Amino acid sequence: MKLRERRALGVYLAFILPGVLLYLLVVAYPVVYSVALSLSDYNPNRGGDWNFVGLLQFKTMLSDPNFYHALRNNMIVVAVSVFGQIPIGFILAYILYRRMVKGGDFFQIMVFLPHFLSTIVIGTMWKRMFQADGPVSRLIQIFSGDPSAQFDLMLHADTVMYPIGFALIWMYTGLYMIIFLANLQKINDSLIEAAKIDGATEPQIFLKVIVPILSGTILVSAVLAIAGSLKGFDLIFALTTQGLQRNNAMVLPIFMYQTAFQNYSNPMRYAYGSAISNAIVIISVALIMASNFISRKLGVGEETY
Amino acid sequence: MKKLVRATLIFGMLILMAGLVFTGCQKEEAAQGKVVVDVMAYGDNSNQEGVNWVRIVDAFEAANPGIDIQYELLYDEAYHQKVVARLTSGDVPDVAYMGADARWGAPWMEASQQWDHTPHLDAMYDKSLIPPHGPNGEIYEIPLGTSNITTVLFMNEKLVKELGLSAPKTYEDLKAMVPAAKKAGVDVITIDGADGWAWGSCVLSSFIARTSGDPQWVSKAVAGENKFTDKAFVDALTIIDMLVKDGIIPAKSVLVDYGSNVSNFSNGKALFMIQGQWAAGGIENPEVADNTILLAWPKLPFEKAATAGTVAAAPSVGYGVTKKGASDPAVRDAGLALINYFYSEAESTQRLRDGAIVAPILKNYQVPSDLPLIVKRKVELAQSAGTTEVIDSYLTGAPNDALNEGMQKIVSGQATPAEIAAKVEELARK
Repeated sequence: MKLRERRALGVYLAFILPGVLLYLLVVAYPVVYSVALSLSDYNPNRGGDWNFVGLLQFKTMLSDPNFYHALRNNMIVVAVSVFGQIPIGFILAYILYRRMVKGGDFFQIMVFLPHFLSTIVIGTMWKRMFQADGPVSRLIQIFSGDPSAQFDLMLHADTVMYPIGFALIWMYTGLYMIIFLANLQKINDSLIEAAKIDGATEPQIFLKVIVPILSGTILVSAVLAIAGSLKGFDLIFALTTQGLQRNNAMVLPIFMYQTAFQNYSNPMRYAYGSAISNAIVIISVALIMASNFISRKLGVGEETY
Repeated sequence: MKKLVRATLIFGMLILMAGLVFTGCQKEEAAQGKVVVDVMAYGDNSNQEGVNWVRIVDAFEAANPGIDIQYELLYDEAYHQKVVARLTSGDVPDVAYMGADARWGAPWMEASQQWDHTPHLDAMYDKSLIPPHGPNGEIYEIPLGTSNITTVLFMNEKLVKELGLSAPKTYEDLKAMVPAAKKAGVDVITIDGADGWAWGSCVLSSFIARTSGDPQWVSKAVAGENKFTDKAFVDALTIIDMLVKDGIIPAKSVLVDYGSNVSNFSNGKALFMIQGQWAAGGIENPEVADNTILLAWPKLPFEKAATAGTVAAAPSVGYGVTKKGASDPAVRDAGLALINYFYSEAESTQRLRDGAIVAPILKNYQVPSDLPLIVKRKVELAQSAGTTEVIDSYLTGAPNDALNEGMQKIVSGQATPAEIAAKVEELARK
C-alpha cells in the first residue's frame, strides 16, 4: 500500500471508527446479547452460568396462547396504523393543502397537537375517558336513557382494541398528516392545474394525480407505522389498568415485559422475554419486507414533482 | 498510522469525558470525603410519601454533612420496573424501599441482595413487632409499621345512619342495604376493581381464610398442601360473584381505578369502601374521614367459626440496606443512619397521623392521644381483629395474575368461580 493510500485509509478509519464503536456498543451489543440470551436459560438477576438450550424459549413461545393473543392484537394495531392513521392523515393533509376548509392553520395545529403531549398523559387521559361513569359512559347514558349504562368495551378481549385503535388514531394521525402535507407542498401546482384543465374532478385529482405522486411517501409512512406499531408499548400500557384490561389489550411488547419483568414463577423469564423480543424484530422485518414487495409489484416509489 | 492512533486516542478521551459527566457528581462528593449512599426511594412529588422523603433527606444531609444521599424517587409500577431493571443490570442501590414477601421481596431475594439487619435493631426498634423474613429469623428490611391490613371495610357511618341503617353484622345485612342505597343514588360498596391486585389483596385474601377456617390456607396451597380447586377456594370466589349479583358491589366496579375509588368514598358516593388500611390517609373530605369506621368484613356465607371476624394482613414494607450497601462499612453505617432518621419517633408519628401505617415498630413508643379519629379507629381494628395471610404475599407470577384477572372476569360475568379456580390450580402446578 502506498503512503498516500495508507493516509487515506487512516483518515477514513478516523471518520468511521467513532460511529462504528458507538454502534457496536449501543446497538449491536444489546442485539447480540438478546439473541444469545434467547438461546439460553440464563437469569441475569440471579446470575450463575449460561446454559445453551437451543430453541426451547421459542418453542415455549409458540405453544403459549398469550403469544397468539398478543400477536393478534399487534396485527390489529398495525392495521389501524396502516389503514387508519395513514389514509386519514393523507386526506386531512390534502384538505389543508387544497384549502378546502377555512382556518387551516388552526386545524393543522389541533390535529398535530397530540404529538406534543407525553404518551403517558394521553394514555391517562383516555383511561379517564373510558372509566366507570366517565365522559364516554355519560354520553352513552344520555343517549340510551339508561343511567346505569357503562362503556365496557375495555373489559372484553374481542372489543378492547376498538377504543385503543381510536386512541391510536387520535394520537398519531397528526404525524402522518404533517409528513403528507410537507410532501404535498413540494408538488408543482401546474400538475394540478393541468388536470383541472383536462376536466378532472377533485376526487380524480386526488386519486389519479396526488396518490401516485406520493406513493413513495405512503410506502415510507407504512414502514414507519409497521415498525412503530410492533414496538408500541407505552400508550396501551398507560391506557389500561393492571389485570383484565391490560391482559385483554396485551400486545407483544407488553407480553414480553410481563413475562421478563413480572413473572417470578418462571426462572427462565429473561431468556423467554428475549425470545419474544426477537420474535417482534423478526415479525417487524417480515412485514416491512412484505410492504416493500407489494410496493415494488405496484410500481410504487417513483415520485415525480 | 500515527494520525489514526491519535484519532483513536481523542475518541477514547471523548468517551471518557462523557462518562465523567455522568459519574462526575459522585466522584466529586467522594473526593470531598463524603460517604455517598445510593438510594431507591418510594413516592413521587405529588404524594405524601414523596414529599416527606425529600424533606427528610434534606434534613438528614443538613444534620450529617459527611453523608451525601443520592436517591431516585419512583412510585407504583414505575418503582417496581426500575428495581428489576437496576438489579438485572447489576446497578444495585445501597439502600432501597423493599419488602420480604413474594410481591415486594422477590427481586431482592432472587438477586441475593437481602441483608440481615437484626444486629442493628436493638437500640431503636421493638423486634417483637417485626415478623422474621428469613428462615433463621433474619430481618431484611425495617417495616414502616406493624403488619399491613389489606382488607378493611371503610364505613361512612354518617351516611349509613342517614339511610336508617347500621353497621352490618352479616352478609345478609349488607344485602338488605341495597334498596336504600339505590334509592339514595349511592353504591353499597365501592372498590377499585379495575386494578386486578385489589381483588386479591383487599377481598379474596379475607374470604379464603373465612371459608376455609385456616389463616394460613394460601401458603399451604402454594406449597401444594391445598388445591385451588378445593371447595373453600371456589366458595371464596363464589362470594365475589354473589356480591355483584346481589348488587352489593356494582358490576361497573371493574372500571373503577384506585384514585376514583377513594374519591367516590370521600365524596359520599358509597356507604362502604374496600381497600387496605393505607387508604385512610387518602380520604380527603374531613367530614367523611371523621365519620369513617374501619371494620372487618361481616359474617360471610360459607364462613367457618375459626376465622370469624379476621382481616388479612401482610408484613409491612420499608427501607433496608442491600447486601451491596452493607459490603462497605462506611456506606452501611451511613445507610443505617438514614434509615434510623427516617424512622425517628417524630417521623413515625407523622406517618401515623397521615394514615400511612397502623402503628410504629419503635421501642417504648407512646401513641399520641390527639391522633385523628380515623387513625384511632384503625388502631382499634388492628388491636381487635385476628389476622390471616394476604394472597400475593405467597402467590406470584402467572397464577396470581390469572387469579386477579379471573376475579375481574367473574365480576363482569365472563367466567365462573370454578373455571377460575381450575385455571389458577393448573398454572400453580406448572
